[in-house]
Amino acid sequence: MSDVLSSLSSLLLALFVVGYLVLAGADVGLGMLMPRVARGPDQRRRVVAAIAPYFLATEVWLVSLVGVLAGLFPSVEHHVVARLWPVLVALAAGLLVRDAGLWLRSRVPGAGWAALWDGAVVAGSWTLALSWGWVLASLIAGEPGISLFTVACALTVALLFALRGVAFGAERLVGESDAESADVAARDTRRIALAALAGTSVTAVAALPSGAGVGAAALVPAVVLAAALAATAGLSGPMLSRHTSAVAISVPGVLVAVAGGLPLAAVPDTTAVLVWSVLAPAIPVMLIGQVWLYRMTRRPSRSPGFFA
Amino acid sequence: MFDDPLLLARLQFAFTAATHYMFVALTLGLAPYILVAQLRAALSGDRTRMSAVRFWGGLYLVNYGMGVLSGLVMELQLALNWSGLQEMYGYSFGAPLALETMTAFFVESTFLGLWIFGWDRMGRWAHLGCFAVVTATAYMSAWWVLVSNGFLRNPVGFEMVDGVAHLTDPVALMTNPAATMAFGHIVTGALLVGAAVIIATSAHHLRRGNDPQRMFSRGITYGTLVMCLLPIPVAAFGGVQFELFDQAPPTSGQTYTAAEIEAVEAAGDGVPAVVGGTADILMMSMWGLMFFLGPVLLLGRLVAHFAPGVRRMRWALYPLAVLPFLPYLASVGGWVFRETNRQPWTVVHHLTTADAVTPMSPAAAAVSFGLFTPAFALLAATTWWLLVRFARRGPEGGPLAEHRDDDSAPAESPTSVPSF
Repeated sequence: MSDVLSSLSSLLLALFVVGYLVLAGADVGLGMLMPRVARGPDQRRRVVAAIAPYFLATEVWLVSLVGVLAGLFPSVEHHVVARLWPVLVALAAGLLVRDAGLWLRSRVPGAGWAALWDGAVVAGSWTLALSWGWVLASLIAGEPGISLFTVACALTVALLFALRGVAFGAERLVGESDAESADVAARDTRRIALAALAGTSVTAVAALPSGAGVGAAALVPAVVLAAALAATAGLSGPMLSRHTSAVAISVPGVLVAVAGGLPLAAVPDTTAVLVWSVLAPAIPVMLIGQVWLYRMTRRPSRSPGFFA
Repeated sequence: MFDDPLLLARLQFAFTAATHYMFVALTLGLAPYILVAQLRAALSGDRTRMSAVRFWGGLYLVNYGMGVLSGLVMELQLALNWSGLQEMYGYSFGAPLALETMTAFFVESTFLGLWIFGWDRMGRWAHLGCFAVVTATAYMSAWWVLVSNGFLRNPVGFEMVDGVAHLTDPVALMTNPAATMAFGHIVTGALLVGAAVIIATSAHHLRRGNDPQRMFSRGITYGTLVMCLLPIPVAAFGGVQFELFDQAPPTSGQTYTAAEIEAVEAAGDGVPAVVGGTADILMMSMWGLMFFLGPVLLLGRLVAHFAPGVRRMRWALYPLAVLPFLPYLASVGGWVFRETNRQPWTVVHHLTTADAVTPMSPAAAAVSFGLFTPAFALLAATTWWLLVRFARRGPEGGPLAEHRDDDSAPAESPTSVPSF
């Protein structure tokens, strides 16, 4: 019993990490590239309108991730917090600034007000992506501190966020009035994939001498990442980038699981039974909400809404 | 004073939690009112009745945004600044928080997204159902958070295994009187916050003779009833918790001996008792004032009903504008009282606040404090300014107000019609 629930709990933790990276990667990544894909106030508004339906439903994966750490894996939480306190403070600040931008930008009419909060969205998105890069890189390396590996890995993760963002933008920004934004995003898909591939190579080379990302277990995910990026940079380009970028950004999460050496302790029986018996009936509702929201907002609404 | 990481971490958490709670209270206080308004609109099938839902719903969303922002930061801050608590009590104190994030907040936020973007994309019953889920999960969220908070006051249902608390009795955890009574107290208090905001907003518009579909008359009636009925349960749920203050928790003695506990409590926590005492007096006097205001409002409402001539005396509605200050001050005072009263313990008789805080340098604590406290003050002030602005503007100019096609300027080409 306890083994099964402990394994399920570890899977749940991994699911929330990968789910957050794949889903929130899209809205954070597009926020990072707003200055690049949007020219002028109207195009910027369209970008925020593309992000808005999703960010509420994607950041809950992060909140749940922290919840699972607090309730089921306190030793892992302690391990991560003790090593990465300053980066996690930056991550929280990035999240605060970006979300404040999304919530506030449409509350007061006027170009200055919107530009201020658009700036918050961009700055917050970059802070989030780079902080996540630093967190994942340090966990894969297994030790805190600056090295070629952590720097290269952190920047590569940020590029994977950006790639996820342009793939999302190439799809969501298509419309009569701003085909331009979608075109810029589509063209950038190849470039960013190429840059991320270069980053992956540097990271891999940096990992060789230090032994970070230990051995064979890390090899398969790394090859999958390189293949997904190569496909996006080369033949498939923006066409399949929605899927290839999702595969790519999930790899750093998987690498933490296989190579990070997290102190995953068995969850004590009573806590595991309590959490799973309350969680199990909620899972269908959680899934229905997420799937429904994604299906419903596939087509942009014609009228202006709450966020943009 | 500002070179003490413990004090900075405590102050930072107090600011974060107090800010968070003020927005949470209005969320809890408005949600049932909006749900009933939307149910009535759905039953009647009359689109114009939806304008009340859009108006109160717009205020709800502006308020909810800051509630989520402060909640996200509070969750991360709990992990970052209070690792001693998380490490020892993760399996007991952290488990209800884990359930809150997954089974309540996850669902609440997703279904709120469905509600925000679903106005013209789903049937009226499905749309109503989404808000019903939002309301239910908002209250579930409060429940789980108070199970965690109640555990700190009255730790029950665990045993220490190698210095880590292992849960032994989940039922005791969930039926902890420090949690269940607090939940009753919070729910009734939050409904009073909602009622006061609804009354103040409605009075502002009635004073100007603005009462579309009688939405503001209904607001006054609802608020008056709540103000008459709920102060007594608020006081009762709060009062029974005083008994717990003098009791040792059933698990007392597992971590420290009676003599050690006495020594810790004699040493105190360095914060003058006047802080908690002032908060206590503030809370009591504000709830006390509301005891009398309910019947006064009811009397005014009845007089206005039976003697319509009185309605010309619109100036009488002026003082109602400051009504929300009462329950807000009472709520913040109540939390400060509850949390300072527990000191020097974080988990009563088990973990001191000094041991709960993350070991960090004064500089790190100061940076974190200096980063988040001003940002919070700024964002909270902006949100309150927006709330007052939208409340005064009325249903025509709310953030959820319906945009009809004829609203767009005729000069605009169809391609530039903005999408959501």
